[in-house]
Amino acid sequence: MHDKTVRRRRALLGLLVVLSLLLLTAYFGEAPNGRLHSVQRDFLTVVSPIQDGANKALKPVRDLFSWFGNTLHAKSQLAQALKQTEKLRRELVAEQTEKRSYHELLALSHLDQLGVGSYRPVDATVIGKNPNVWYSTVVIDKGESAGVQRNDPVINEEGLVGKVVQAASDGALVELLTNSSMGVSARIGTSHATGLVQPKVGDPNDLLLGYLPSNTQANPGEWVVTSGTVTPGYPSLFPPGLLIGQVTSVNEESAYKSVNVHPVANLHDLDIVQVLTAAAGSRAANLSQLTVNLQAGQAASSAGAGNGEQLASTQVGG
Amino acid sequence: MSAGVSRTLALRIGVLTLIVVFFQIGVVSEVPVFGVNAELCALLVAFVGLLCGSITGAVVGFAVGLFIDLALLQTLGLTSLIFTLIGYWCGRLRELRDPQAGLTPLLVGVSASALALVGYSLMEFMLGVDAPVSFQLLRVIVLGVVVNTIFALPMYALTRRALEGAMPEDPRRRRRRAYTTGGLSPLSKA
Repeated sequence: MHDKTVRRRRALLGLLVVLSLLLLTAYFGEAPNGRLHSVQRDFLTVVSPIQDGANKALKPVRDLFSWFGNTLHAKSQLAQALKQTEKLRRELVAEQTEKRSYHELLALSHLDQLGVGSYRPVDATVIGKNPNVWYSTVVIDKGESAGVQRNDPVINEEGLVGKVVQAASDGALVELLTNSSMGVSARIGTSHATGLVQPKVGDPNDLLLGYLPSNTQANPGEWVVTSGTVTPGYPSLFPPGLLIGQVTSVNEESAYKSVNVHPVANLHDLDIVQVLTAAAGSRAANLSQLTVNLQAGQAASSAGAGNGEQLASTQVGG
Repeated sequence: MSAGVSRTLALRIGVLTLIVVFFQIGVVSEVPVFGVNAELCALLVAFVGLLCGSITGAVVGFAVGLFIDLALLQTLGLTSLIFTLIGYWCGRLRELRDPQAGLTPLLVGVSASALALVGYSLMEFMLGVDAPVSFQLLRVIVLGVVVNTIFALPMYALTRRALEGAMPEDPRRRRRRAYTTGGLSPLSKA
């Protein structure tokens, strides 16, 4: 009797572990439009109304806890904000003059850069958050039924948050800037040099703007914004000028310069976000579709590692 | 599940699991304490294992992990693998040692949290997250364990309260009764 119980217990443990490993292997190996991914999306479609309801019902509890933390932070932030306002006021005057010149130059050169105006913003509420140590993904309550597609940029009132990586009918998974697979082409506010913003290795809550030319001028406190498409061959998913973060320090140990960037969006406390969906037929939609096709092609031939740098940079480089 | 696990117990565990998972996703994941989030689901699995045994612990661990992976669109099988092992290990602790000390839930909570956080990090590394073991990561893991320690005793009380009356028999009580009825007494063999 005892032996039978022991055998059954061990068999069950073995079965569950093997099942988990099979799921893990199959999920990790399949393309984003594979069967397990679609099961997951269907599950989210069923669960998201409950999650949404629970999220709304539990909001007062969440706000109560957040209130204590926010009050403690508010005092220290006030002095910093006042100092920053003064600095920004001075910068605004200079920027307004520059802006006028910029528009004149654009008109003269007939340049047509893909801007935020090409997108249709959709407001969404964060209904789920990955509780692991990397804080890398969140689930939102808007999906394909609201026009949300894979690779749509996601922002909040502070700045760039991430991009959509999976979309179900009534929910979507957003990969945050701090996710190790994210990469956004960006530039330092006043500079024309562009680089790639990625999570800082070893510190999942910080970002690193790398691959900047060694002669790039960068100072702590400067703003880092998305650069948009710089080279037509390597289109960016993100429109230019979206605020990413602030330079905290500059590293010059290699041939390229890199700067540490603190994200402006508080990725630990996301509540309402905005998905920049692309209107059908627009340049943004075509670009998003192109990237999806490239990623699908890459997943299909992932066995052959030599897929070409262009595909990899399109997937990571955003 | 073991034969001792009644339908009432399964129902209670199911309801408790749903409440805790939605509370984790909706509130706890949104409210950082000392910069990290508590991991109530790992504690729930550990305490279900501690109170109900290894088989129930492993099954609940697998189910909770799978639910989280599905609801948060995470890599399927990752959380279920870790939670299955936590539930099983806590259940075996009960079956082999049957610890009765008041601080047992605290120690089990700390161990389960550490196992969950380290296990999750290791799995993520193996799956290709580009981040070496750093001071920052260790800090987050240690703080995560500390925060979970704070929630361990209330979570144990909640789990025990929710499952009270439907739990399988206490192994210590079972042993004691076996002695009194002569079943396992060495004297009865003489």
